[in-house]
Amino acid sequence: MAESSAAPTPEGRSGRRGRSVRDASERGEDQTDALGRRSVELSEFYQGKIETVPKVPVRSLEDFSLWYTPGVAAVSRTIQADADRSFDLTGRWNTIAIVTDGSRVLGLGDIGPQAAMPVMEGKALLFKCLGGVDAIPIPIQVGSPDQFIATVEAMAPAFGGINLEDIASPKCFGILEELTQRLPIPVWHDDQLGTAAATVAGLLNALELTHRSMRGIRTVLLGAGAANLVTARLLLALGHDPHRLSLVDQRGILTAERNDVDELMLRNPWKYRLALQTNGGGRSGDLADAVREADVLLAASTPKPDTVRPEHIRAMAPGPIVFALANPVPEIWPDVARSAGAAIVATGRSDFPNQVNNSLVFPAVFRGVLDARARSIPDEVVLVAARELARGAARKGLTPHHLLPTMEEPEVFPEMAAAVADATVRLGIARERLSHEEFLDLAVRRMGRPARLARALARAHLTSPMPPARSKGRSPR
Amino acid sequence: MSASGESGAHAGAPGSESPSVPIHLRPARAADIPTLVPLLLRLKRLNEEFDPLLKVREDAAEQAKEILEADLADPKSLVLAAEGVGPDKDKVVGIVRAVVRERPFYTPAHEGHILDIYLLPLYRRRGVGEYLLREASSALKAKGAEIVTAEFPAQNEIASRFYAKRGFRPITSIHARTL
Repeated sequence: MAESSAAPTPEGRSGRRGRSVRDASERGEDQTDALGRRSVELSEFYQGKIETVPKVPVRSLEDFSLWYTPGVAAVSRTIQADADRSFDLTGRWNTIAIVTDGSRVLGLGDIGPQAAMPVMEGKALLFKCLGGVDAIPIPIQVGSPDQFIATVEAMAPAFGGINLEDIASPKCFGILEELTQRLPIPVWHDDQLGTAAATVAGLLNALELTHRSMRGIRTVLLGAGAANLVTARLLLALGHDPHRLSLVDQRGILTAERNDVDELMLRNPWKYRLALQTNGGGRSGDLADAVREADVLLAASTPKPDTVRPEHIRAMAPGPIVFALANPVPEIWPDVARSAGAAIVATGRSDFPNQVNNSLVFPAVFRGVLDARARSIPDEVVLVAARELARGAARKGLTPHHLLPTMEEPEVFPEMAAAVADATVRLGIARERLSHEEFLDLAVRRMGRPARLARALARAHLTSPMPPARSKGRSPR
Repeated sequence: MSASGESGAHAGAPGSESPSVPIHLRPARAADIPTLVPLLLRLKRLNEEFDPLLKVREDAAEQAKEILEADLADPKSLVLAAEGVGPDKDKVVGIVRAVVRERPFYTPAHEGHILDIYLLPLYRRRGVGEYLLREASSALKAKGAEIVTAEFPAQNEIASRFYAKRGFRPITSIHARTL
């Protein structure tokens, strides 16, 4: 989930630079503080964001002999005879675990599992509201990646999928790979796959708009964390020339010759592999060396303005594509990037056009893999989701300010879910092989249900309206 | 040791490696020393990752230079330089350092002992480790070795898998603690 929670800052969009940019950043911080205070207040009021609710009638205590013992024993025996029946006879088909060790939560760092809980609850709310998925937040206290893996493996029988969340890089790569291999259900790490898929979707449309093709472009990825390492892998899978792809981290351009490459071999084999594969053009140096004549800059680094400077953009090929995805402060403000010649700019923020956000991806991906009862989410499926997201924006008309659908274009997401489900059927990893129309129908109904549910609960006064703000200072909501 | 270990993990079928091996091994010359020293240091820095007692000394570069000079003058020592092929011909991209020594108490009495193997990352894989080991073994045999041994940091699992796959087993261990 994007870390951005800053409300609109008109100055950020204005043509005035320097002072206005500083204002935007300061106002952004003020807004973030105000939202934070309000969020604490509301958490005190509601004491949690989700609860479990029965979905079967309970007319009298006698009904429990059906929902529970003795009747339920027969259901257990049925599943004992055929484990996959657990998807038909229990809520497993629509239930996932959101698992974190709290080692890299938002921009907060290693705050531990208890402190990660509010974020995981928020994610569960998003899963329900956007994807119709029942998601259980499970922050766990573990001492090692192996213990993490063993714990998730142990809980997998209850779930139709696993969403890994906010785990530090590079251990997140090993954990995802190992769990994907071991578990018979889809495992997803949003910080790797969700962000990468949204980035690729935006890039596909940006290439379309600027009449470029994946095979011909030179691309620089700034930041070599969870998201960009996967973005690089996906771009290569889409036919990007590895010799025209450079990764840049704090030490500069990632090359096979760099002194820390042997250390990477031991500590971060995923980055090591890209060090050997990419940048065959033999460039070395820093970002300024990397961006010369580049068509695309995908920055997913630390949130700090001026990480990317106007001269970097000016050194790129004419009409470059610039994604500045750090949150809440992008590596370069959009108006600054555009003034320096960027043809298309995207950020991770909702108050600028072209928000690259994993919320555009994970609800539909999970809706799709859960409806197909898929066994995994290979990269082919991630790319289908990215392509479908790109297509969703294109259906409304592509412009430099409309690269990606926004959350206000919900019609895109059931289509995406159905495309994901279709892909798992094609790849032979679906337990439920339905037609596109059937998957689409399921997705529309299942993604639409939570809104109806929320309205009904509110009408019946089973959920409370938001209490008025009592904190001092401006309240944004 | 890392280079061959890494390649070992991804080596193709035995015997299929020679045509595609992107390097060529030859005896090192005095003129190679300036390029061999940094390769040796990269290896020692990699070893540093495995144990604090393998921390590289400040004067390691001078030491490496002197050791290589002494090796080249010693008929019991073996120093091979790995060169690239094609456009990288004449570029030294790796090193093998070994010595033939007597085992006074055990038989067989002559051991070819591999001290260092290092290859720049880009030249790894594709059966290169296999090739290095084979070439080093036959050069050591030519110098009178009857068995071949190799040393590397105890925690280097990549190296231990590489050698295990090729029929090596641990015969002695060196354990350490600070005084």
